[in-house]
Amino acid sequence: MLRHTKLAAAAGMATLALAACSSSGADDAASPAAGGSEGTAIEGRAPELRIGAVVDISTWVAADAAWGNEATYYMAVYDSLLRTSATNEVQPGLAEAWEYNDDLTELTLDIRDGVTFTDGTPLDAQVVVDNLNRFREGASPDRGLLDAVTDVAAADDDTVVITLSAPDPALEINLSMQAGLIASPSTFDAPDAQTTPVGTGPYELDAASSTIGATYTFTANEDYWAPEDQHFDSITINYYADASALLNALRDGQVDISNLNSLTQIPDAEAAGYTTNSIPVNWKGLILADRWGANNEALADVKVRQAINYAIDREGLLQGLESGYGEPTTQIFNVEGDAYEAELEDAYPYDPEKAKALLAEAGYPDGIHITMPQTSFVPASEPELIKGVLAESNIFIDYEQAGESFFGDLLGGAWSAFAFGLNQEPLAWQTYNQAIAPGAAWNVYHQADETVEALAARIRLGGEDGAAAAKELNEYVVDQAWFAPFYRVIGAIVTADGFAITMKSGQAVSNLWDITATA
Amino acid sequence: MLSFVSRRLATGVGLIATLAVLTFFFLQFGVSDVAQRIAGQQAGPDAVAVVEERIGVDRPVQVQFADWAGSALTGDLGRSWFSGQEVTEAVMSRMAVTVSLAVGSVVLTALLGITLGALAATRRGWSDRGVQFLAVLGQAIPGFLMAMALVLVFAINLDWFPATGYTRPSESVPGWLLSITLPVVALTIGSIGGVAQQVRGSMIDAFERDYVRTLRSRGLPRRSVVLQHVLRNAAGPALTVLGLQFVILLGGAVIVETLFSIPGLGPLALTSTSQGDIPVVMGIVIVTGVVVVLVNTLVDVVQAWVNPKVRLS
Repeated sequence: MLRHTKLAAAAGMATLALAACSSSGADDAASPAAGGSEGTAIEGRAPELRIGAVVDISTWVAADAAWGNEATYYMAVYDSLLRTSATNEVQPGLAEAWEYNDDLTELTLDIRDGVTFTDGTPLDAQVVVDNLNRFREGASPDRGLLDAVTDVAAADDDTVVITLSAPDPALEINLSMQAGLIASPSTFDAPDAQTTPVGTGPYELDAASSTIGATYTFTANEDYWAPEDQHFDSITINYYADASALLNALRDGQVDISNLNSLTQIPDAEAAGYTTNSIPVNWKGLILADRWGANNEALADVKVRQAINYAIDREGLLQGLESGYGEPTTQIFNVEGDAYEAELEDAYPYDPEKAKALLAEAGYPDGIHITMPQTSFVPASEPELIKGVLAESNIFIDYEQAGESFFGDLLGGAWSAFAFGLNQEPLAWQTYNQAIAPGAAWNVYHQADETVEALAARIRLGGEDGAAAAKELNEYVVDQAWFAPFYRVIGAIVTADGFAITMKSGQAVSNLWDITATA
Repeated sequence: MLSFVSRRLATGVGLIATLAVLTFFFLQFGVSDVAQRIAGQQAGPDAVAVVEERIGVDRPVQVQFADWAGSALTGDLGRSWFSGQEVTEAVMSRMAVTVSLAVGSVVLTALLGITLGALAATRRGWSDRGVQFLAVLGQAIPGFLMAMALVLVFAINLDWFPATGYTRPSESVPGWLLSITLPVVALTIGSIGGVAQQVRGSMIDAFERDYVRTLRSRGLPRRSVVLQHVLRNAAGPALTVLGLQFVILLGGAVIVETLFSIPGLGPLALTSTSQGDIPVVMGIVIVTGVVVVLVNTLVDVVQAWVNPKVRLS
């Protein structure tokens, strides 16, 4: 609502009113609260929630959806077949119940009765089948999430059977994210499908009050099947393309809850009266990709890769690159996941002398050179700091300016090692498919390893043995130094007084239903 | 007059057609991996192939252009490859926002620039030096710095205006005025000086002309000589500068629009160009081209109306 002083100021602007006729009018790191902010949720719905976003939605087409920072947009208008809690426990969504067959290759979903899309179309099993098949054939960057699916069929009006080529421990979680979003069939071939979503979700997009690429307004879906999860009458998501604009919006109290462009904005946000909520999200470090020595022979030697790990001053890099907002680690698996081991947090303590000794043992007494990419979207200070730290152990980084096709080149194996940050997925199986499996995008040389594959086969079957294998995989990857993690960096969301949030493990944004107004 | 306007508009059509051809083919050099960008950098070849077929970049460039031109001639500029929004809707809605900023800025610049320029030319001395100093100062301060200072003072500390965002006039006219005030001021401060200098110089020239001396010797009041004769003769260069400012602001307000999170044409042009979103870039080029041709024609017509000595030729 406009403030009185602002209305008063409007009265004195006769000069600017002349322009009216030309407008058509279309359109210390310990400070963050870990896990979320506290507060007693108010009864019923609060009038409005204003969200600040640092990423715009790329498409409203559910079959093409990505996730990460875009998840908030999708959670507003769509439901997924399953849900995951803030601690990644799988819960019912549009599927009320689900169960696997004995050999874990068939998942049967019981679709919720009486649910309708906001255009009035009823939800049934065939609609779910069509949505899943569209995702498998769509343009989502994550369509590989359903790679293990060989068939989707409607057994009856409210039962869907998903058949797998092999057990997929991540399937339930995947169905709680973009792979499980269900859109109305009326949007399948609609020319405006990318801008006009129709789901069964808690809110409807008010296209007339929204400006694509800037502001999106949503109103509560009055026929929502889970009204207890609708905490607001309306939601506005304002996308801020510029970090200064977001900071100014925070200083002016224009948003109730927001992601940040950078952790360095935390002190400014707190000075503006916001509470910082944090949770570890990504790990950042070096991906020592060329473990076969295809481009850099030295990296084929495990002693060299271990030397690189010993050469990293993790505390120093955390302070220098993230202002201390994170925690040093030498493992890539999620803290709350099945593969995590506390003793692997410091498997390679900073020791330049040990690094030099390992290099000498490997036949490189004068050190090694590694060529890495440098990009314009990372501040120049970051690669320079990494270079300086490694040089103390005779590991010399030669930077090469990356071109416009940086990601394509990176994933194509253009560089034998590179600094990067990857999401810490909830399940070990997901991390395996993200960066370790022979077909994983971030195993950029697609190296296969017999030990890893044997462990993966056990993880795939789950249970106690699967969990034990996950830990063994973590130990093996750390021991073989496939990566050289620096630290686990936090994801931060700031909340204004009167709003509370429960942060979600391993995800940049929380569940929308975990944002509440407080008394 | 009618013949002049017709000739200018016909030339404008040719200009826009040339612009369209050049832009379309130049853009081809920067969009080699546009399908990959749309699908996401981690998307596999299957997903990328789906996108390529969907947006039609799997066809020869000349076929793509022929398709685009055929649709454009019927008024259909297609849809954004990235957002899926109709280009006409995307460009026109944002053009309306930017035009409101540009018109506000040009009107404010005209009022302040002509007043200050006339003040400097008629009073000279300290007034003249003061105006010239302020003109240089206004031009020297970078636009983004001015925008930041305005936000800190008038939005965050005084709480008079919103720090970011845009309110449509259809939602609230006072809200709309509040939302565009700081951006308009930020866009205006740097350009007042140019207009003031032009008006000052032209008026000083006019003061030294024989006809002004004659008017004065016949006993006409100084106020009448300045307003009816000197200022009218000096208006030509100022109108040219204001016309140019308007055209520049259509594409050049990007920094201010981004800092104030205003959904104008600037951020759309920046994003679509860096993404390689050809339909949107083409839409912006065409619509902006039309506006530029119209504004330049209008400026010439107004010049002739203000000063009949100017012949439209």
